[in-house]
Amino acid sequence: MERNRIRNFCIIAHIDHGKSTLADRFLEITDAVPRQKMSDQYLDRMELERERGITIKAQAVRMHYSPGEGEDYRLNLIDTPGHVDFSYEVSRSLEACEGAILLVDASQGVEAQTVGNAYLAVEAGLTVIPVVNKIDLPAADFEGTAMEVADLLGIDPGEVLGVSAKTGEGVEDLLRVVVGKTPPPGGDSDLPLRALVFDSTYDMYRGVVAFVRVMEGVVRKGMKALFMATGVSSDIDEVGFFSPDMISCQHLEAGDVGYIITGIKDVTRVKVGDTVTDQRHPACDLLPGYQDPKPMVFAGIYPVDADDFTNLDDALEKLKLNDAALTYARENSRALGFGFRCGFLGLLHMEIVQERLEREYGLDLVITSPNVVYELETREGDTLYVRNPSDMPDAGTIKEVREPYVQSTILVPPDYVGNILELVKERRGSYQDLSYLSGRRVEIRCRLPLAEIVVDFYDQLKSRSRGYASLDYEHMGFLPGNLVKLDILINGEPVDSFSTVVERSRAHDYGRKIAQRLRELIPRQLFDVPVQAAIGGRVVARETIKARRKDVLAKCYGGDITRKKKLLQKQKEGKKRMKMVGKVEIPQEAFISALKVSREESGK
Amino acid sequence: MRLYIHWPFCLSRCAYCDFNSRVAGRRVMEGYREALLKEIDAWSHLIGEEGRVLESLYLGGGTPSTMGGGEVAGMIEEVGRGFALQPGAEVTVEVNPATWSCEDYAAARDGGVNRFSVGVQSLDDGVLRLLTRAHDAGEAREAACHALRTGGTVSVDLLYALPAGGLESLLRTVDEVLTWRPHHLSVYALALEERAPLARRLRAGDISLPGEDEAADQFLEVLERLRAAGYRQYEISNFCLPGYHSRHNLAYWRREEYLGIGAGAHSLLGKCRFSNLVPVLGYMKRIRKGLLPVERCEILDAGEELEEEIMLGLRTSDGIPEGLLRNSVGYLEDLESMGLLLKRGGRVLLTPEGMLLSNAVIVGLLTQAKPVLDCQSPYWVR
Repeated sequence: MERNRIRNFCIIAHIDHGKSTLADRFLEITDAVPRQKMSDQYLDRMELERERGITIKAQAVRMHYSPGEGEDYRLNLIDTPGHVDFSYEVSRSLEACEGAILLVDASQGVEAQTVGNAYLAVEAGLTVIPVVNKIDLPAADFEGTAMEVADLLGIDPGEVLGVSAKTGEGVEDLLRVVVGKTPPPGGDSDLPLRALVFDSTYDMYRGVVAFVRVMEGVVRKGMKALFMATGVSSDIDEVGFFSPDMISCQHLEAGDVGYIITGIKDVTRVKVGDTVTDQRHPACDLLPGYQDPKPMVFAGIYPVDADDFTNLDDALEKLKLNDAALTYARENSRALGFGFRCGFLGLLHMEIVQERLEREYGLDLVITSPNVVYELETREGDTLYVRNPSDMPDAGTIKEVREPYVQSTILVPPDYVGNILELVKERRGSYQDLSYLSGRRVEIRCRLPLAEIVVDFYDQLKSRSRGYASLDYEHMGFLPGNLVKLDILINGEPVDSFSTVVERSRAHDYGRKIAQRLRELIPRQLFDVPVQAAIGGRVVARETIKARRKDVLAKCYGGDITRKKKLLQKQKEGKKRMKMVGKVEIPQEAFISALKVSREESGK
Repeated sequence: MRLYIHWPFCLSRCAYCDFNSRVAGRRVMEGYREALLKEIDAWSHLIGEEGRVLESLYLGGGTPSTMGGGEVAGMIEEVGRGFALQPGAEVTVEVNPATWSCEDYAAARDGGVNRFSVGVQSLDDGVLRLLTRAHDAGEAREAACHALRTGGTVSVDLLYALPAGGLESLLRTVDEVLTWRPHHLSVYALALEERAPLARRLRAGDISLPGEDEAADQFLEVLERLRAAGYRQYEISNFCLPGYHSRHNLAYWRREEYLGIGAGAHSLLGKCRFSNLVPVLGYMKRIRKGLLPVERCEILDAGEELEEEIMLGLRTSDGIPEGLLRNSVGYLEDLESMGLLLKRGGRVLLTPEGMLLSNAVIVGLLTQAKPVLDCQSPYWVR
């Protein structure tokens, strides 16, 4: 097909604004999927995605569309992930397109994430087609939403289309606009091959499937592919496209979107953003914009039952096949035993991994409170990265501690601006500017330490705005902070899983609150248990869990010892849910909630 | 062998009780008595020569003193048809102070009862009313007096950790009871079962119970008074003047065999623990059909026997042989340093503070200092 008949586009939308439903209508209209095979939201493959209504992995679908007699177009719809954790993946998907539908729910209006992704699309030079969805809903405010979208993009509200992906109203018109407005792809098929990997997935039988957009040259079956960033090379076993099932073909030309399968079995060797070239006639340069996935949020994952360690190891290995951004390393906690320190792109990513481990692999897990990665400069001038607060070296050896910051955009109705600014201040954020979107919504821009976001910022944001505020952020690197490691000692022994890094000025207050919280979470033992918070060996807070005094079943009527046996059995079972730390029994919930709850309290 | 006979009937129901006891009319009691006698007869044929010789007999309840003293005597006589009471055998009957006259005590003594367990609970009328006991303090004093006058051994039951009166009322009761010089005292913390009327009032916030620390203080205070008066704590809740421990109850803690007769009664024979059907009418029906009323039966394996030996043995002041535990992590020494446990003459026993925490301590021992289950050990080959 001639290149000027190809249209590569994507849909940018907030969660639940109807992206998948719209994609389904496109598939129907273009007859890509026969109606009887049409399951709702065909593009969202994983069960989990379907349940959560979000798309984790981008995919590309080829459709054929004829807006009129003799006009045949090939449409490649590239699905983008819809969450801030995956903004790098989003940016790579956008690189594969020339056009983007900006889809906004007529009853919800513009959300922070929509703004973030719209900016990304504009920066990537895409033609943005603004669309308001769900115009069939009684609560729909097409005019107001169109105004917001117009303000956001600096266009006339009259350019905003209205559709109902659910009923199909306006969808065909939208396809015509996509064809009319989206520029055809550029690129020269005679140049050496350069194809952008914008996503990858793992197939149990065939290995890694890489989704590519051919920028220049031609990719053919049988070619020897070289992944330029990783330096990995392998024969291309298959070339093809999704329609929406896998269909193999002989080649993909410049401007086309499809997949390639090589013999590579390890998803980490096929990285999103990498450039595929022909090893025999290689291109000189990588396509711009490649980054290694950088996990920013870390948490310890431990099996509840120590015997499950091997199962957890296996499960992580399998999960990793499909999720190049997940990192994990063995870790041995004095408190929790053997487990893994896992790195995630963000909180949602962490939740998804946790859920998949529990659901798909049937594991019971203890997950420690998440923390960010810290960048340390030692007195010797070395740079270290600390992924677990308990690994933080002695303050004396450190010259500077830096923590990751994010550039955040918060959208909120004007009534709640005060609340949100207060929250930003509490969380050590620095406010930058504030602008109105059509008078209904205020865009607050600020910088926040990522550490302040990972614990419960999102919950707080929602509760202080009655659910109306939305958040988007992008990483902006490390900035120095006056940070100290806060250790928690239980019965005189430091418990690694409770260590945390906090700003010096808040350390006392925070330490006291963690200690108080632990006093409530840890049941009374047979002896007094001191709970201390310490900074660099100096105790800043102390609480005591008083010893138990009475736990006795006094009477056994007429030789009936069954009650007593049952009670002891229950107590023995209860002990299994406890972790012995030294001589103290600590319930698993304590590891999960101690740090979190005290931060909530300190926020009040 | 030791025989326990359960008499489930009471004058009225106490507000803290959800025990297998009921207020019934004369006819049901008669029918139940018939059933008991049949069950006794059946077991006398099943149990074998050795088992027919009784070291102790215990009539518990419920309130066995809702039978008259003469009826109790008659019951003992019936037992004597199938079983033989050893010379000097301990024969106990539980008595509610609201039930018996001086003549009843005498009749019971003449019929063979040599130990009276009197349910005094408290000598504070306010407390007794709150507990809806069927007697007042005056009747309790009288009952103890009658019992002592028989010349038999007298045990007094008292409650602590009560929803009223506090430490002061408790100590007044204890001090007065001590002036009677009963041979034996049982001191129990009030335990409210979920379905007891007082438990409902507690949930409604109508009454409150002393907290863990206050209850522990009460118990230790009572212990102090009893000790000073010459009583010895020989089990978690039981105290006696030298030589007057309850031989029947001690058998429970020592895992000696006992046979329980009546609705809901429990037995231990060999490696088998079993218990009878709990509902009184159901029990009677089974007996009438000529069936044994056994409802549940558990055959203990060596591990379970060992666990029982530890958990029951530690209730007594004799404790258990140290060799039963594999003390690899120094857990015994930890408990010792906390003042909860003592090691003496190759045995491990709990201090009074340890007894108050016996559940937690025993669970700790069973999990930390795991029981030794070794086929070679003299313990389970015996």
